[in-house]
Amino acid sequence: MKSRIWMIACALMTAGIFGSGCKKTIDDQTAVTDPSLTKNLMALISEKADLSTFAGYLKQTGYDAVIASSRTYTVFAPGNAELATLDAAIKNDPVKLKLFIGNHIATQVYSTKDVTSTTRILMANGKYLSMKGTAIGSAVITTTDQYAANGLLQQVNKMLPALDNCWDFVAGSQSPAKQKAFMLSLFRNVFDATNAVVIGVNPVTGDPVYQAGTDSIFTNLFWNKVHDLRDEKKQFTLFMLEDAAWDAEQARFAPYYVTNTADSNKLVTGWNVLRDFAVDTLYEPGSIPDTILSKSGTKLPVERSAIVNTIRTSNGIVYIMNRINIQPASKLKTILIQGENYNGTSHDRRGNTYFRDRYNPVTGMDYKDVNVFNHGVALFNIRYQVEEVPSIKYKAYWVAVNDFQTASFNQRLAPGIATATTLPYIAVPANNFNEVYLGEFTMAQYQAIYNFYLVAANSTTAAVNPLVCDYIKLVPSL
Amino acid sequence: MKRINFLGLALLMAVAVLPGCKKVFDIKPQDQLDVTNAYQNVYDADAAVVGIYGKFMALADRYVILNELRGDLLNYTNNANEALRQISTHTVAAGNPYASPRPFYELIINCNDALEHFQVMVREKRMTEDEFNQRYSDVGSLRSFLFLQLGIHFGEIPYVTSSLTNIDAVKNASNFPRLSFPVLLDSLIRFTEALPYKELYPAGTNLNISVDGYPTQKFYINKKVILGDLHLWKGNFTKAAEWYRQVMETGTQGVANGNYYSQYKLGWDSNGDVDHYITYSRAGDASTLVTNTQWRIMFEQAFGTSGFDREWVWALPFDSKFKPDNSLIKLFSPIGGDYLVKPSNEIFNLWDSETQRVAQGGSIPYDARKLLSTSTIGGQPVAMKYLYNYLNYNTLAPASLLTKNGKWFLFRQTHLHMRFAEAANRAGKHLLSWGFLNNGIAGAYPAPTSDVTLFHNTLWEPYPFNFDGRNSGSSGVPFYRSDWYRNIGVRARANLNNITVPASDSLLTIESALITETALENAFEGTRWPDLLRVALRRNDPSFLADKIYNKLQKDGTGDAAAVRSKLMNPANWYLPFNW
Repeated sequence: MKSRIWMIACALMTAGIFGSGCKKTIDDQTAVTDPSLTKNLMALISEKADLSTFAGYLKQTGYDAVIASSRTYTVFAPGNAELATLDAAIKNDPVKLKLFIGNHIATQVYSTKDVTSTTRILMANGKYLSMKGTAIGSAVITTTDQYAANGLLQQVNKMLPALDNCWDFVAGSQSPAKQKAFMLSLFRNVFDATNAVVIGVNPVTGDPVYQAGTDSIFTNLFWNKVHDLRDEKKQFTLFMLEDAAWDAEQARFAPYYVTNTADSNKLVTGWNVLRDFAVDTLYEPGSIPDTILSKSGTKLPVERSAIVNTIRTSNGIVYIMNRINIQPASKLKTILIQGENYNGTSHDRRGNTYFRDRYNPVTGMDYKDVNVFNHGVALFNIRYQVEEVPSIKYKAYWVAVNDFQTASFNQRLAPGIATATTLPYIAVPANNFNEVYLGEFTMAQYQAIYNFYLVAANSTTAAVNPLVCDYIKLVPSL
Repeated sequence: MKRINFLGLALLMAVAVLPGCKKVFDIKPQDQLDVTNAYQNVYDADAAVVGIYGKFMALADRYVILNELRGDLLNYTNNANEALRQISTHTVAAGNPYASPRPFYELIINCNDALEHFQVMVREKRMTEDEFNQRYSDVGSLRSFLFLQLGIHFGEIPYVTSSLTNIDAVKNASNFPRLSFPVLLDSLIRFTEALPYKELYPAGTNLNISVDGYPTQKFYINKKVILGDLHLWKGNFTKAAEWYRQVMETGTQGVANGNYYSQYKLGWDSNGDVDHYITYSRAGDASTLVTNTQWRIMFEQAFGTSGFDREWVWALPFDSKFKPDNSLIKLFSPIGGDYLVKPSNEIFNLWDSETQRVAQGGSIPYDARKLLSTSTIGGQPVAMKYLYNYLNYNTLAPASLLTKNGKWFLFRQTHLHMRFAEAANRAGKHLLSWGFLNNGIAGAYPAPTSDVTLFHNTLWEPYPFNFDGRNSGSSGVPFYRSDWYRNIGVRARANLNNITVPASDSLLTIESALITETALENAFEGTRWPDLLRVALRRNDPSFLADKIYNKLQKDGTGDAAAVRSKLMNPANWYLPFNW
């Protein structure tokens, strides 16, 4: 018992000694001694005489309060001499000035020592600039990494103007008129319930009823189907044709997209010409390759001599061209239809349908096919739906492996309607793993949606009317 | 001044504390059982057995890592730490926690402690002779299993059969001489053969009951299996086959019902939950692979169901209701786990090089066990066997993220049949072995007519190779439905064609095919490295093992495949350094 009291007493006393001795030491070690860290970025900028113009603009745009806050920023500040040449149109327009000044403030800390590879950094106005080491945008950081309590100050040797993005350029006044007009004609009202106001419920279906005008958004097909050129996060390369070249290109491709009316022909041709003109990779003028692969897989030849003008944007680059010589053979694609991916059958015969996994000794690859056997229906057919078929001639092929019976049987590919006899019945002999040529057919018109049918023999006998198909291949014959 | 005060006080404290210590702290704990009171009656003994198995479960991930990651079917993922990468690429450095034998020895010493106390208890009549025999043999067999694991992975190890209070004493080679693997096997066989009881705990004893909804019978090691294994490793093939045969005949008692014909006999029962076939609801339509019953379900179905009971010989459950936590979900699952290991390209190649039986014209060009053993989650291949109680097969999502139920699979009837066949093949019974591998006894000894009297059997062979699989069909005369008439063979069950064997070399062809088949059927279940090691040792052929590891590393692009191959061509490098 005695020893316990002693222990407690000793413990208390030692605690007292440590307690009194330690406090001062810790305070000394953790006290802020660097005067830079007592000031925020705004205070630091205000101290520098050379940045007085910039500081003035900061106050004018309200960014002074932002960079005096407790979040961290990197401020890229041009000197008074650089800002002296600022366009009066920007200077006197509060909106433009705010956009301009916002392009000099990054919302995170970026030190020249840490950013060793090209990095897209987000600026306070929502745009991005590329930074690597002391290079930022088109400027160079001259006085680097001056730290303040809430971030870094980088002094730069040029202004960092807030450029338009690619779409702003298209919609603006400097872009070639005809391509611009076509691109702006692609705005559509598209159903989108995100911001819709529900005003009731359909008593029959239980679906919501939306207030007219709130259930759709006005959007551009190019944004949805190719690239959204407004996206500041990405970098694009956009090609625009001068008016004469645009017209020539339309004339060249119009025969491949024949429709009933001149208007629809123009729309489809225009769309198909345009769709390959933007890629989401930045190609600099000095290093642009002679061929670029578009999103839809078309080869886009780039002749440097055909580049008329080069415009930098905040999210990429726009080339104005007087010629882009895309080959029809590259734009018009081979259509591959997988046998097992059908859209419908003439009769429900799932119970007689086999999705088979097999090995093809010719290609050395495994494949999956469809086989309908003993279905009992004369002229039984499988329907395949294909989108956007141009008005050209095709050569048709299939791989159809009859490994389930020794007798040969016939099947037919029918374009358009199941009864079409455009292509003849073709025999499917036992164990042929090769592609078989079926013949040619010509599409008289472009079809947005077109059906192809795999049709069985006109018989109800199991050994005579099977269907089998690995894939159907339609090769443009130009 | 302060300083002097402090020094003085420190001295005073030391003087004051030291004499007081012993009295102050030497108090018996009031809420824990002291060792002197731990073994009072049979219930205490049961608690010791349960405690040992509880601790054994903590070795689950280590067991899988050592036995599979060192082999060629499992590889590490990008998430894996350096230690796992070293295990997989056979470049283990000092301090690798997975290469430490210490956890095994901790458990072995617990076993030794229990065994010593059991002996005291029976001497002092605190439990009966029968109770002693059952528990002593169980813990003894588990200890032999642990030693066999140590031998497989560390080669020369100390055979420690006494209880120690300090585990680190094991490390000292002067305390415990290290036995080479063959000598270790002799010691283990002598000890395990001498155990007084080789059966399961009888129904009605405290250790064969139902706890938390789990019947406990399959929790405990099967003593006959470990005996078979020890003899198989040692090369006593007939002896090994005898022990395995006893397990294969587990169901052969009482009424001749479905269990009689199918438990551990790889027999059909016309019930998908029991048959565990690879099958298609419409043969030939690959999209109709049966997934919610048949082969895959053996990994998902509950303890105590007939399908589980007839397939599994030894398995332990992980359940969110009790400890330990499921270390295998952590190891394998990208959802709710760390996804540290994945199936190697090599196992996919093995599955893809099989063809299924002809249906609707041709063969499906892969082994469908691929689709049921693995899955793709988030674009990554995942070994699924341990995850089917956690992730729903169809949605690949957990019913409850934190309810990490699962099982540790240790042994099932395909292991049993493949090892019996391995022993039989080495004992010269090639055709019988071929039958177990391919399409069963009746398949290996087909009858030309409907009179099967002289076919479908090997009754002219001595035990344990005398099987009677006669099945006269419904019209054959005389009528037969013999004990093994439902046996269908491992490959037939998986819808695969038979292996053809050249007349010149049936022994090695069949043996290699058995090992490959175990990979296809039992991938990731913790036997691959031992299988490769056993055959490489038996054939004295390092390339049998080295080539397979080379293939894994080369196909996955991990490690220096060529250097590892040349390293493994020296048998001394097959074992991990004994160190912790």
